[in-house]
Amino acid sequence: MPPKRMTANQDRSHRYYPGKVEYAEDALSSDSENSDAEASSAHQPAKPTLPKATSFPKDARLAANLSKIDLDARRAQAAAQEAERLKREADARAKEEEEFVTDDDNDEEDGSGREQESGSEEEEEEQEESTSSEDDVPKRRMPAPKFISKTNRKQCSVPVFSEEELAAQEDARRKERADEMLQLQLEKQAAAKAAGKKDWDDDEEGLADEVDDADDVDPEEERALWKIRELLRIKRDRDAIESAEKEREEIERRRNLSKEERDAEDREYIDTQKEEHEGKGKMGHMQKYFHRGAYTFDADDETKQLLNRDIMGSRFQDDARDKSMLPSALQIRDMTKIGKKGRTRYRDMKSEDTGRWGDLGVRDRRKDGEYKLDERFRSDGDAERAGGTGANAYAVGERRKRVDDSRDGRRDDKRPNLHYVYYDPA
Amino acid sequence: MAHQADEKRMLDDRGYTGTLIRGANPLLLFEKPVRDRIVESMYWKEQCFGLNAATLCDRAVELENIGGIYGAAQKPSKFLCLAFKLLQLTPERDIVLHYLRQEEWKYLRALAAFYIRLCWQPKEIFETLEPFLADYRKLKRRARESFSLTYVDQFVDDLLTKDRVCATSLWKLPARTQLEDLDVLEPRISPLGEELEDVDADRQDGRMEDDSGSDVEVLGDGHGLGNGHDHDNDADVDGD
Repeated sequence: MPPKRMTANQDRSHRYYPGKVEYAEDALSSDSENSDAEASSAHQPAKPTLPKATSFPKDARLAANLSKIDLDARRAQAAAQEAERLKREADARAKEEEEFVTDDDNDEEDGSGREQESGSEEEEEEQEESTSSEDDVPKRRMPAPKFISKTNRKQCSVPVFSEEELAAQEDARRKERADEMLQLQLEKQAAAKAAGKKDWDDDEEGLADEVDDADDVDPEEERALWKIRELLRIKRDRDAIESAEKEREEIERRRNLSKEERDAEDREYIDTQKEEHEGKGKMGHMQKYFHRGAYTFDADDETKQLLNRDIMGSRFQDDARDKSMLPSALQIRDMTKIGKKGRTRYRDMKSEDTGRWGDLGVRDRRKDGEYKLDERFRSDGDAERAGGTGANAYAVGERRKRVDDSRDGRRDDKRPNLHYVYYDPA
Repeated sequence: MAHQADEKRMLDDRGYTGTLIRGANPLLLFEKPVRDRIVESMYWKEQCFGLNAATLCDRAVELENIGGIYGAAQKPSKFLCLAFKLLQLTPERDIVLHYLRQEEWKYLRALAAFYIRLCWQPKEIFETLEPFLADYRKLKRRARESFSLTYVDQFVDDLLTKDRVCATSLWKLPARTQLEDLDVLEPRISPLGEELEDVDADRQDGRMEDDSGSDVEVLGDGHGLGNGHDHDNDADVDGD
């Protein structure tokens, strides 16, 4: 094997590379005969010591040894070892059991015991082959199985239950377990309740503490507050009564005035209203109308002020007063729509309207040339020419009165006229 | 069909044979969305099942606030659930009066007052509830997002004057003045009777005595406070 370092100068000192494993030249040569499978464990720094738990024999050369293996010999060997081991165990057990002191006479027991044991040994052998690890379990002193002759068997020291009793016992046990579980659950619930956890109540805790509804904290103050409230209520009631009274008086008074006086008062009222409206700002050309909303029926004082506020007189910062100065693209009523995607070219209703609104000073030229046309092709004329057109253009004379036109004769229109049927009295 | 644990059948009007309030199933006094929220709530399902007039008291004494519907999911308050239960039970007059008149539990009193306002006749409502305008104990009221402080007398006043309290549209009560005109009721005598006369006398004379002076001052201060209380901060369904 060529030296690891391909330099001519073998003695050149090694440079340190971090992470590079350094090993002595001696170790290299001695390990060269090792199998490659052990390369990882063999490649160790400085003086390598092989790990102690190698399962691989140190000097094994696999390929060389394989042919030398004799399987049969191996099997025989293994069997011999096994037999030996078993024998050892059996002896050990026999020894143990001899030391047992059993309940009844020893003589009898020993003899019969051994019989049993030898019988059961065979079974145990088979078991033990598969469960050899039980050797590690420390041997407990168990009572030896006692042989009871048939006569003695009837006095059963271990009670034998019938099926029903067994079932009853099972039920009892199950019940116990169920009771225990129930007990546990109840305790848990009680604990949860004590801790104050309720699942319908998770969101109340924090906020509720800010408001304190404890009474008798300061009785004087509470009583004073109550007095205030009570007085306000009384005041409210009284005001309601007074305003009702005033209305009634007003109605009475107006009834007692004469009609002219009433008209005078009405005119005054309308004038004051007009002044109020004029005082407020007017809608300019193309000004957006901000409606105050439909849900303003709550008549607090504040809301009343809001209701009477001057909406159309106010201008906001970028509101153009005179929109005719703007380019036509910006002359829209609702300036918020500018720059938005859904904007249409709609300006306002008046400019989009295609109808005519009066002022038809110029008549239609078509009607002047109609006298040349045939009668059939003229226009229908205004209001269809009272009476009728075409076949109805001529008046129809009065109808002649016919005999059977009278009501009596026409009474049974749907039945055949019996006057002409021959009546046979027979 | 087997008995079902939920009580949706009580809302089924067909074949209803119980007490009629205002000519209909008393549960219909609550609006449909509110009814749905109550019946689906955990508190109703767990705690309000199978209550009777006596066991309802057990729940009622645990009440800590009044209120209608709160939160984003429109959760009904326990007060509302118990009121719904009362409507379902329609207990007798005496029982309700007992609930109302007992002194110890103010939330139970509020519950009874609510029930009375919904179910009884106008004359009885005024006569029964007006004495409690003198009870100035505090109540915690739960609004949509927060809690506020109110008083028993304020609550009773709301019941008598407002249209919607605790997420319910109250049955329209004729005004007291109307009933007085019909001679059904007599004009109200306030518990502040004597002091009131003093105030009146001074106002008419135009004098300001020491006592009345303090009263008038108190009025001036209280106006701001009173407005705060009078605001409608109920958690109503349609956000009134």
